[in-house]
Amino acid sequence: MLIGIDVGGTFTDGVVYHRNQILNWAKEATDSDNLAHSLLAVLDKLLMDIQFDEIERIVLSTTLVTNLITTDSGPRTALILIPGYGLPFDSYDMAPDSFFLKGCIDFRGNELEAPDYNEINDMIRHLQEMDITRVAVAGKFANRNNSHERLVQHIFAEKFPQAQVIISSQTAQQLNFPRRAYTAYLTARTIEMWNDFLDSLLKALADREIKAPVHILKADGGTMPLDAARNSPCETIFSGPAASTMGGLAITTGESKNSVVLDIGGTTTDISLIIGGQPLHASKGAKINEQYTHVKSFAVRSIPLGGDSVLRVKGDSLQIGPDRVGPAACFGGGSATVTDAFNYIYDLDIGSVSDSRDKLQMVAVSLNIPLTDLCHQVIQVILERLKNAISAMFKEWEQEPAYKVWEVVNRKPFQLDRIIGIGAASQVIIPILGADMKIEHFLHHCSPIANALGSAVSRPTLTVHVHGDTQADLYTVEPGGKQGQLGKKRSWQLEDIKELASRHLEELALSSGLASYAREAQFFREEQFNVIRGWDRLGKMFEVGIQITPGFIEEFKGVTE
Amino acid sequence: MKNKPTGILFFPAFDWAISPTHPEREERLLYTRDQIFEEGIMDLPQISEYNPKLAQIKDIARAHFCVPDVAAQVTEAHLVSAGSTLVIADALMQGEIKNGFAIVRPPGHHSMTVSHGNRGFCNINNEAVMIEYLRQKYHIKRLAIVDTDVHHGDGTQDIFWHDPDVLFISFHQDGRTLYPGSGFMEERGGPLAYGTTINIPLPPRTTDIGIHFVLDNLVMPILEEFKPELIINSAGQDNHYTDPLADMRFSAQGYARLNEKLAPDIAVLEGGYSVETALPYVNMGIIMAMAGIDYGNLREPDYKPERFKESPQNMEEIKGIVKTQLNAFKNRGEIVARNRAKNMDFEVIHKNIFYDTDYISEDQTERLRLCKNCGGFRVIHSSAQHRNAKYYEVYCISVPGYCCDSCHQEGISMYNQMKNKSSYDFIYLQDRIDDQYRSFDISKETETVL
Ligand SMILES: [Zn+2]
Ligand SMILES: [Zn+2]
Repeated sequence: MLIGIDVGGTFTDGVVYHRNQILNWAKEATDSDNLAHSLLAVLDKLLMDIQFDEIERIVLSTTLVTNLITTDSGPRTALILIPGYGLPFDSYDMAPDSFFLKGCIDFRGNELEAPDYNEINDMIRHLQEMDITRVAVAGKFANRNNSHERLVQHIFAEKFPQAQVIISSQTAQQLNFPRRAYTAYLTARTIEMWNDFLDSLLKALADREIKAPVHILKADGGTMPLDAARNSPCETIFSGPAASTMGGLAITTGESKNSVVLDIGGTTTDISLIIGGQPLHASKGAKINEQYTHVKSFAVRSIPLGGDSVLRVKGDSLQIGPDRVGPAACFGGGSATVTDAFNYIYDLDIGSVSDSRDKLQMVAVSLNIPLTDLCHQVIQVILERLKNAISAMFKEWEQEPAYKVWEVVNRKPFQLDRIIGIGAASQVIIPILGADMKIEHFLHHCSPIANALGSAVSRPTLTVHVHGDTQADLYTVEPGGKQGQLGKKRSWQLEDIKELASRHLEELALSSGLASYAREAQFFREEQFNVIRGWDRLGKMFEVGIQITPGFIEEFKGVTE
Repeated sequence: MKNKPTGILFFPAFDWAISPTHPEREERLLYTRDQIFEEGIMDLPQISEYNPKLAQIKDIARAHFCVPDVAAQVTEAHLVSAGSTLVIADALMQGEIKNGFAIVRPPGHHSMTVSHGNRGFCNINNEAVMIEYLRQKYHIKRLAIVDTDVHHGDGTQDIFWHDPDVLFISFHQDGRTLYPGSGFMEERGGPLAYGTTINIPLPPRTTDIGIHFVLDNLVMPILEEFKPELIINSAGQDNHYTDPLADMRFSAQGYARLNEKLAPDIAVLEGGYSVETALPYVNMGIIMAMAGIDYGNLREPDYKPERFKESPQNMEEIKGIVKTQLNAFKNRGEIVARNRAKNMDFEVIHKNIFYDTDYISEDQTERLRLCKNCGGFRVIHSSAQHRNAKYYEVYCISVPGYCCDSCHQEGISMYNQMKNKSSYDFIYLQDRIDDQYRSFDISKETETVL
């Protein structure tokens, strides 16, 4: 028995899945001030008539960290940057309490400028005076050599042990200093509240005597065990859209069509792409507060438009959304909504069509137009917005950068086969959108709660990246930020680095209780460069990536229609 | 205009090399990749990243006579590299960007009008392909190319030698001391385009100071007078003090300041083989200068400004060059008028061209029609033995996009006449007015039209 709960912006959805069946599901309005409360309310509803010891796993996707970041909540946090040469320091405008330190590392991990101890001590004293105890430290090319970051962390431990210091090389190892710095900053800022939330969750489960393992859904559509999630709050941002994408994939499981997944909820629509059966990832990493991060995420686009988006008259013209004031009129709400317009014009027989008509009529009168004109106008706007957002997604995909000849030569245009609709309002809007775009659409009886289903059945993902440089005698491993020496004795080949990466992935999988998934791992990046000076080869550089891609746990065999 | 981003197209061709240890190998832009990715350049609001695409065969034929055909001279890597410059050209002309930089390889500026093989690491001249595309698609007429590679841009010079509407300025290490051994002051363009080719052969070990003296006192005033619609920087980076193939003393700061002054609409990477100690910093410098980002914090790890003082002898020589070339440019109109007045039908030039990479020796006879009304059109008789031992003798007719009707008609009729001459293997017609590129295979009697 698998449980999935998706705490979304408007609704919290939950499902219990067992042997091709949805045994139970629940939907509650989300209380944004108390997410744990909404979560437990849904959980308790789900658990009625269920034997707790049959629960194999609970997966949670939550907007908690996203909310903390977008509302700028969390303790005052210092961002200490060691940028070295390059862009001017004023280009790093991402945190109000930013500090700059001397020191410079280059792309091979060489130290070009040493840190200044006095400067570090002065800065620590300054933070003590200001009583800032949350700290993120980020150095340019710390992913190749993190000695400066560790030195700062070390001096903090000595001089200011109360401070909690996150270093960027441990949050991410990929190139891109600003993204790494921002990810470290967000981690330092949210980690405490995130852990408080996890603790309260564990306590609530213990109170209910539930012993099943708990996983958290990540932005890349994979799950991670709760313990592993403690150190990486940022991995959970955009796990809501990831749940939608995995839900779209789950209800069409086994097929490899090119699809667009639209999760049309109460006030927002999340759009993602599935290409040949695999969800499309954002090549730049998740973007939050207009800043890119190193969080691996699906490429998703959210637009402020959902089934409950309210219809209003502003001046002489119609305004659709972006907010929700309650359910649609057909479900007893006080105002006409997008759902009501579809319900009335297409005679969908949802709730009370006459309530839809009455509330729409009031808007039509204010606008001084016939009722049917109003509805067509609303539907026109909705379809246009959705189509624009979809084509913007395609455009983004087509503009994915390519750095090799074969990638350019083999690039194919995207051929859309199908629209997959999920979310509360999908049944209302998706058939009309499909007809308008002349594209096959797919809806499932689970569509309204497919996001929670997606969470329930997603398998863990894990990505290991190894950078090797035989001349500098250096290798680095992500995640975790391990940096070591390759050893000069032997001649390293690509195969050896692949093995190194593979071994790290296995170890990591073992330590997170994911050993059974390790054999599913696939290499997604294998690059090697000869380091030539004059006419001699002085070494080799390697970039190897291996991952367990998003997918479903073994127990999942689809859902019967 | 001010708020538009700078377009960057980064195409390192990580799966292409001339040979494993050749300077043009996979590793060349590896550290540049590390640097610009680590800096997060592509995430900045001042930057817009563009994606490469393949150039069409026709785009190549617009600039080159490839022997025996385009497919024989280009690999997919060349098409991507050339195609990438077209992406930037489109982005600029469609108003998406204020300027653009194509950081691409393979390079192209040693590649000439006729291409029998690889010269100086180049098969296809990226800038020339882009310029003919800009002219055809956007009707640009007057352009300036400033070649800042340490090697003389002999390919680009050859292609635009007779074109009075393309100002070609190349500064480089003196050809007596460096490949390709050309680019002397007296190379000033064909009889009807005299003065729009300007060579600035600099003494070895010239520093930022010397190059900026040339820029301030020669290049900028000439550009001011020529008034091109677009300025292209053929942005080689081998003037750098750490380049292993040349002997100059230019720095990343110097390159950045150069691009700030020159304000090119488009820059295209050419040479530069100090892959670790120059390219990451120079490319950053050019990007930052073009995007209007303060580059004061950018420098090479070992850069010490006080080490790079211009020697008095060098400065003396540079001042002499500036004076001579400024005069030559001022007097160009007079000389062109005198050449026209000679009343000759055709001016004949003989050349031998050596392809260092492929060991090909080409013989050329070039004839320019000395037209009264335009820059004239040219015909080239070329023969060479290729690496596969095949010997080709070809006849090429090149009709510029901006020539008079009489030149256009005569070019076409010449092509039709030559098709009966069995002494050639191929006859080519580059008709840029009708945007048609014909090739006639004499032995098979078949014609290909692009
Ligand atoms: Zn060069
Ligand atoms: Zn003419």
